[in-house]
Amino acid sequence: MTRNLYHDKRAQWLLYGAVFLALAAVPLFVSDGFLLNQFATYGVYGLLALSISLGWGFGGILNLGQGIAFGLAAYGMAMTMQMQSQDPDSNPIPPFMLNNSLDHLPAFWEPFWSTGGGILLALVIPTLFYVVFGSLMFRARVSGPFIAIMTLAMLSAWYTLILDMQPYTNGANGLSPPSPLTVFSTQIDPYSPTAYWIVCGLLILATAGTKLLTQSKFGLVVQALRGDPERVRFLGYNVAVYETVIYAISGFIAALAGCAWVMLVQYVSPAQLDTNFSITMVIWAGIGGRLSLIGSILGAFLIQGGQSYLGDQFLNTWLLLLGAFFIVVVRVMPKGLAGLLELALGALARPRRGDGTGARADGAALPAAGE
Amino acid sequence: MHLLDAVPLINALILGLSIASIWLIAALGLTIIYGTVGVINMAHGEFIMVGAYTSYALQSSIGLPFLLCLPASFAVVALVGLVIERGLIRYLYNRPLDTLLATWGVSLVLMQGVRLIFGSDPKYIAVPQIFQDNLAFGPFGLSVFRLVVIAITAAVVAATAWLFYRTRFGMQVRAVMQNKEMAASFGIDADRVYMITFAIGAGLAGLAGSLFGVLAIVLPTMGTAYVVQAFLVVVVGGGSLVGSVAAAGLTGELQSVFALFSNDTFARFLLYVLIVVFLRFRPRGLFAVAKARR
Amino acid sequence: MAAAAVAAPHLWLPTTREAWGATLKKGEPIKVGLLFSLTGQLAVPEEDSTLVMQYAIDEINKNGGIAGHQIQPVIIDAKSDFNVYSEKAKELILREKVIAIFGCYTSASRKAILPVVMSQNSLLYYPTCYEGAECTQNTICTGPLANQHSKDLIPYMVKNFGKKVFFVGSNYVWPKESNKNAKIWLQNAGGELVGEEYIPLGSSEFGPVLGKIRDTKPNFIFSTVVGASDIAFHKQFKQEGFKVDAMPIASLTTGEIETKAMGAEFGAGHFLSAPYFQSLDNPTNHKFVESFLKSKYGKNGSTHYNMEETYLSAYVFKAGLEAALNKTGNIEEVTSRMIRDVSGGVKVDDSISPEGLIWIDSDNFNTWLKPKIGQCQADGSFKIVAEAKEQVAPDPYSIYPNLGKCTATGLVAPDGKARKNVI
Repeated sequence: MTRNLYHDKRAQWLLYGAVFLALAAVPLFVSDGFLLNQFATYGVYGLLALSISLGWGFGGILNLGQGIAFGLAAYGMAMTMQMQSQDPDSNPIPPFMLNNSLDHLPAFWEPFWSTGGGILLALVIPTLFYVVFGSLMFRARVSGPFIAIMTLAMLSAWYTLILDMQPYTNGANGLSPPSPLTVFSTQIDPYSPTAYWIVCGLLILATAGTKLLTQSKFGLVVQALRGDPERVRFLGYNVAVYETVIYAISGFIAALAGCAWVMLVQYVSPAQLDTNFSITMVIWAGIGGRLSLIGSILGAFLIQGGQSYLGDQFLNTWLLLLGAFFIVVVRVMPKGLAGLLELALGALARPRRGDGTGARADGAALPAAGE
Repeated sequence: MHLLDAVPLINALILGLSIASIWLIAALGLTIIYGTVGVINMAHGEFIMVGAYTSYALQSSIGLPFLLCLPASFAVVALVGLVIERGLIRYLYNRPLDTLLATWGVSLVLMQGVRLIFGSDPKYIAVPQIFQDNLAFGPFGLSVFRLVVIAITAAVVAATAWLFYRTRFGMQVRAVMQNKEMAASFGIDADRVYMITFAIGAGLAGLAGSLFGVLAIVLPTMGTAYVVQAFLVVVVGGGSLVGSVAAAGLTGELQSVFALFSNDTFARFLLYVLIVVFLRFRPRGLFAVAKARR
Repeated sequence: MAAAAVAAPHLWLPTTREAWGATLKKGEPIKVGLLFSLTGQLAVPEEDSTLVMQYAIDEINKNGGIAGHQIQPVIIDAKSDFNVYSEKAKELILREKVIAIFGCYTSASRKAILPVVMSQNSLLYYPTCYEGAECTQNTICTGPLANQHSKDLIPYMVKNFGKKVFFVGSNYVWPKESNKNAKIWLQNAGGELVGEEYIPLGSSEFGPVLGKIRDTKPNFIFSTVVGASDIAFHKQFKQEGFKVDAMPIASLTTGEIETKAMGAEFGAGHFLSAPYFQSLDNPTNHKFVESFLKSKYGKNGSTHYNMEETYLSAYVFKAGLEAALNKTGNIEEVTSRMIRDVSGGVKVDDSISPEGLIWIDSDNFNTWLKPKIGQCQADGSFKIVAEAKEQVAPDPYSIYPNLGKCTATGLVAPDGKARKNVI
């Protein structure tokens, strides 16, 4: 029986390697700072799509509130960069706080004096929040659509809170650190290949790590519980723990994305926690193929690229088209564009068992989970 | 909190009733669609918006009186819902997450479509002069239009309850909800039941929309302002009619009272957090729909 | 990755940086960016901004352009999404190499694009009112600052309606900052603040706020509610039985467009402070209103303070560029920053400016202008009931004197230290 090349582990890694290589080589051919910055931003969206693919595609957790991790980390990073432009002696308080009548730096801003500490907090706090919130949800055996609604409600809560705490967060105006990030006394110009490579490196590491995770025993259990949590529970696994861990890892990746994003744009506002943005992330993964990590990432590239380059020609019709396209994807190809590739490669291979069995998971999981 | 004069509190409670009625009528269509069909309809806010635009269009083109706009909006949006159910939703009944996403796509299309037709500048719906006043009993008061919303909500809830609990159709609905296959074996056309329920749910959103167009403003994006609240009402209520009534009452009053003691923004935050905590302990909501879905 | 970077130091430190800057060429059109939202929630005011800018550019081009050069607008739809503002600002500056950007209606979008505007030493014309408390070397603002906006309005209301006032605003930075200024004017006028409430952006539920207003019985309401919320506020005000004669709303936002959207019946009787009204009675304005509404850009049927401020920014740009040309004599040497530096003091006189003579402050680069107070009439137009005697000075740090004074080179603290790019 010839196997579908799509499900061949080696072929998959080959594809991943090729995509990684192509991404890393971009600055060798592109010297336009604007393009590098824009591509790097797509890389951030790729990270977000990856995190959605991990949670939703592999864990079955439809998270409509991924903006929580992204936004909180972005705020952490922006606070770090803001404090880099303050001086502990002569000018310790960010300008917007002075306008809000704060005469000393709030205690929770203090750790952000340290660049390393600040970035660490920017990553740890969202992840920790996901652990706590996730274990609350999953221990209560909240499932399916309810998770979607609860994450959405939590996102709205954070959004409202950040908006309302104007003296500490600058409300709707958000934070715009005046100069780029400086690490090890080098300023990272957001329009330079360096910035691009940092984001690219994060994306490659996160993707490879996630891929390995999904192929591990842990990953297989997670995929099994996506199919049928009750059965996995009866087998003696603590389902809530598995779900919480996968949810938190997905949050951590989104937090990485948040940090990288602020490094590139020097800006964060409550808009990063807007519900529409979080749902857009789900659309990237949905159209690209939520069951395929690389498919989700490429989905983000495709849609955001389309947004940037097609949008201005079509103006109003673009969103209409995107909505219609998304409906078609959900309706007839739930596995997204990656699913199309799977079908095509399946057709190339000799006739298989003539049904839609491919419908379970990304090929990597099949040997153990499927057979 | 020190002892307050009772008047503001009582006024806040009266207002809470009004807020509750607004959230309830926003959530009603969502409730019956979710409770019966099991579909989380992300396009609900846009159904509301289409209802508001229907009223606006009928009023500004043929001068239809406001009170007639209400049933007209119901009918038009029910038709829209019917088309969407036939064309899309019915293929996705056993994929709850996918319906959620597909309906989000629908919401994008509706919002953008309306924008292309009507433009993005705000419209407004006129109402008779008698609705633009305030009723006061001593220090207590409420606007006439808010009373109208409360009355219409009560009437619509009663009508829905009658439809689902006192008619032959309602019996079929409940049978399908409890066990689709069993109901089918008794000759109930589940497909038809789903279709009609979805259309009614959409129509109720349309009716709510024409009320909201009077309270605020008609814009392509107006639906998003109501839809999160509507979802929370449904989820807290558990998807049943009585649950939604209770949940809307509770959350509306809490919002109003919190807002009295703090401010509107913080009240909202507090409410969201309370709801998340509540769902931790009662993930199925106040009154869960008793059914074996699938 | 690191290895590649070390091996190719030319990549590590881009040398092309200078080449990115905007340049003007003899005989080629002058490229400017119009960065407004044509779709989404912000489209209501910002679409008009784009239209009126196109109108102004056409008008300038028709009259010979600037020193013989035509202006060429690059029109962008920012889709009401702050991420898009940030991305498109980069594209305009780095890719299109525009000499200046005209854009944004909200402070949040301005803050989103300022990092790139500042780092590339570009120039932003911000054509609407804002809160101030910002001191960069790359912006020029043609709308009223918080310190100008309510200066006359509050004393006027106190004098005509009574001392007690209730502040209502949308919950974000501008209303809160505006209200800090308003409190000063209120104190000077001997008024009394009986309540202050902020409602979420975009919210349409004013029940709780109106309840508090009912309880505190102010003589008038001072409103900084924006957008769709503002319309909901006026409608519910009337529906809840409040009477405009007994307790009018004095607003900084409710102009001709808003009144049209809510229906004149809900706007009639309320007050607005703005530097411009469609009904201003002077020949320049009559000509502006008539020819704008007749042009292909006048499809929305009214002019508005926000549009007029945007219109003026085109002429401030023209005057600034001409001043820079006078200085260098060679258009190819003109940079964005040079235009900004020579724009201090440039005037737009009343033969062009529909609101009357204005000029740019040479320290903080905001606009000297005359705020006016209008009362909405039954037909939705405004009747001017008061006008400042002379132009009011803009001061972005009026309520924070101990933070310093904004000058052309930066924010100078009382101890003499200057800081650049304070945002």
